[in-house]
Amino acid sequence: MIFGFQLIAIVFALIMLYFAFLHYQRKEINGMEIVSWWIIWIVTIIIVIFPGLLKDFAGVFSITRVFDLMVIGGFIFVIFLTYKSYIKAKILEKKIEELVRKESLKDIKDAKKK
Amino acid sequence: MKIFIVIPAYNEEEKISETLKKLSQIKYPIVVIDDGSKDRTWEYITKYKIISLKHKINLGKGSALKTGCEAAFKMGADAVILMDSDGQHDPADIHKFTRALKDDRAEIVFGLREYGTDVPLIRFLGNKIASVVISLLFGIYISDILCGFRALSRKAYEKVHWDSKGYGVETEMIVRTAKNKLSYSQIPIQALYHDKTKGVTLLDAFHILFDVLKWRINL
Repeated sequence: MIFGFQLIAIVFALIMLYFAFLHYQRKEINGMEIVSWWIIWIVTIIIVIFPGLLKDFAGVFSITRVFDLMVIGGFIFVIFLTYKSYIKAKILEKKIEELVRKESLKDIKDAKKK
Repeated sequence: MKIFIVIPAYNEEEKISETLKKLSQIKYPIVVIDDGSKDRTWEYITKYKIISLKHKINLGKGSALKTGCEAAFKMGADAVILMDSDGQHDPADIHKFTRALKDDRAEIVFGLREYGTDVPLIRFLGNKIASVVISLLFGIYISDILCGFRALSRKAYEKVHWDSKGYGVETEMIVRTAKNKLSYSQIPIQALYHDKTKGVTLLDAFHILFDVLKWRINL
């Protein structure tokens, strides 16, 4: 039997599957990315419906409850995504700085080349 | 020795004209960088016979100084004197920097502000604490860490080429001076403290502290 919270989680995952599809249609994400996100959300739906599947897996890491495993796994994933975003933001910031400074220096004549 | 004055400016329409007027008697070329100001700073800068550069967006003091220094060295400068655009620094002190660069052969010259009583206590204390922390971590004691009035030779610029985009630039210059074992001197200068609200804030101070720890590990 599927409980209320599980139902909410399934509906949320289905909405995210749809959003991923929309972003793919708009060419905002590529084929590899949509496949990755779809796998994540489909696995999430399966785990929500059959939480017992992860019981043995949780036992390997000495974690008693499947919920705890999912929370820890979720945290690790979020930290990973935060790190990726941080690196991308740093690269972008550096590129913007180089571009703006290069633009402002374009009219300066090199004294050595005179 | 060919010396250029480099002045970064951001939203300084109230003070920039006064600052540039005071510098009009100075014989050195002046490079002013408008760091994406939203007010009439650029309009006022372009009225003077100086080398004026503009960033299309605000990048921060560190980036503006890099642009100014690169422009100066590209145009043949042997050394640059960095000044703030808010009229805090007295052009009459410029000769002290040139003397230190030429006679004392210092690669970097740091200005040491002689403060009156109108400086907020927290800023004064923060500066002193920062000096002690930098001294403990990097073995270099600069009395006035955050003074923007300083000079550096071309060789020193190549060595201390900073990464900081914002207000951390002054601290990073000191850290890199220590790391590269550059010869430096400190000279007393006059300071006219106008604006208690502009400049390094408490939030900037926390960012700089975080950067100091990062430099201790990375550099």
